[in-house]
Amino acid sequence: MTTAQELREKKQTYFDDIAVGHQFAPLVIGPLTPTHLFRWSAAIENWHRIHYDQSFAVYHEGLPNILGQGSWKQSILPRYLKDLCLPDGWPWKVTFQHRAMIVPGDTLTVWAAVTKKYEEEGLGFLDLDVGMRLQYDTETCPGKATIVLPLRNGRAIPYPFVPPKKLVGE
Amino acid sequence: MSQSPAPSGSALTAEVKAVIGVSAEKIEASLPWGIEREGLRIFTQAIMDPDPRYWDDAFAKTTKFGAVITPPIYCTYLGRRTPPGSEDPITRAFTENPNSDGIGGVRDTESRGRLPGVPTHLKRILNAGNAIELRQYPKLGDRVFSQAKYADIKERVGKDGSQMLIVTTETVYTNQNDEVLCILRASQIRR
Repeated sequence: MTTAQELREKKQTYFDDIAVGHQFAPLVIGPLTPTHLFRWSAAIENWHRIHYDQSFAVYHEGLPNILGQGSWKQSILPRYLKDLCLPDGWPWKVTFQHRAMIVPGDTLTVWAAVTKKYEEEGLGFLDLDVGMRLQYDTETCPGKATIVLPLRNGRAIPYPFVPPKKLVGE
Repeated sequence: MSQSPAPSGSALTAEVKAVIGVSAEKIEASLPWGIEREGLRIFTQAIMDPDPRYWDDAFAKTTKFGAVITPPIYCTYLGRRTPPGSEDPITRAFTENPNSDGIGGVRDTESRGRLPGVPTHLKRILNAGNAIELRQYPKLGDRVFSQAKYADIKERVGKDGSQMLIVTTETVYTNQNDEVLCILRASQIRR
């Protein structure tokens, strides 16, 4: 897990210093407990019982256990990309699919690997393969992302972020 | 809207095509007081993100954002909250159905901002994936608005020859200045 102090002191990663094939340091979360799942359900007011009522999940829905929420996974990937970009980069976009179920006891490894790098309008763009791997190596949330990192001696990344016209709609 | 009964023909009927581009009403997703600290604390702890940009005013002022911000897609969850003064959706759902799954009847409370149904005989819904585009993070006090539309509907045939529709909705989240915060594209398989 990342600490508040690490995020406060994080040094900028520059576009110039990253090569295609680079694998960013993963974020490991877990093992997840029923309490973690319940906390998320309460935080976003998702009252679907398969996420916190084990009897309902197992005996009524026929599931192996209560299930981790897709909406939680959906929040974790952008959070990880945000951390990679801090302090001045931008986690522009991410796409992903929900695959394997998450249940209590699972540990997730959130990861990203660079597949392409290119410059546009003086900004550095990295295309990434991303995902969330379970402890037995099953990929539960495969996807792709594009993040923006500053170039050394380059211009600041605009905030709010304005994507280069050439890249809009790609 | 009428419903196409013809499973033998194309599932992408004229009625289905007609909903492509249809938008829902733009609504305020946040509660009337906008983004506030306590909701933010609960949310960030649930995603286990201790970033001081979410709670330390002095530090946040020194960042490129200039103020306390929210996690990347925080705004997409705001519309789920039950406004104060509303009928309790949980009590109502379980009164109507003691075996409620916690969704049926609970989320039916709020119809504002919803898209009309897709007029198809294909009833089974599976999540086919999401695409998120970020432009800026909301700040404390910001009000968040959302508007959904049917961005695209495509027809596919399953490996077993069954009909499927891939329905993609696009929801744009904006702030009180009509600046885009993020765009969420969600695809569902209907089969």
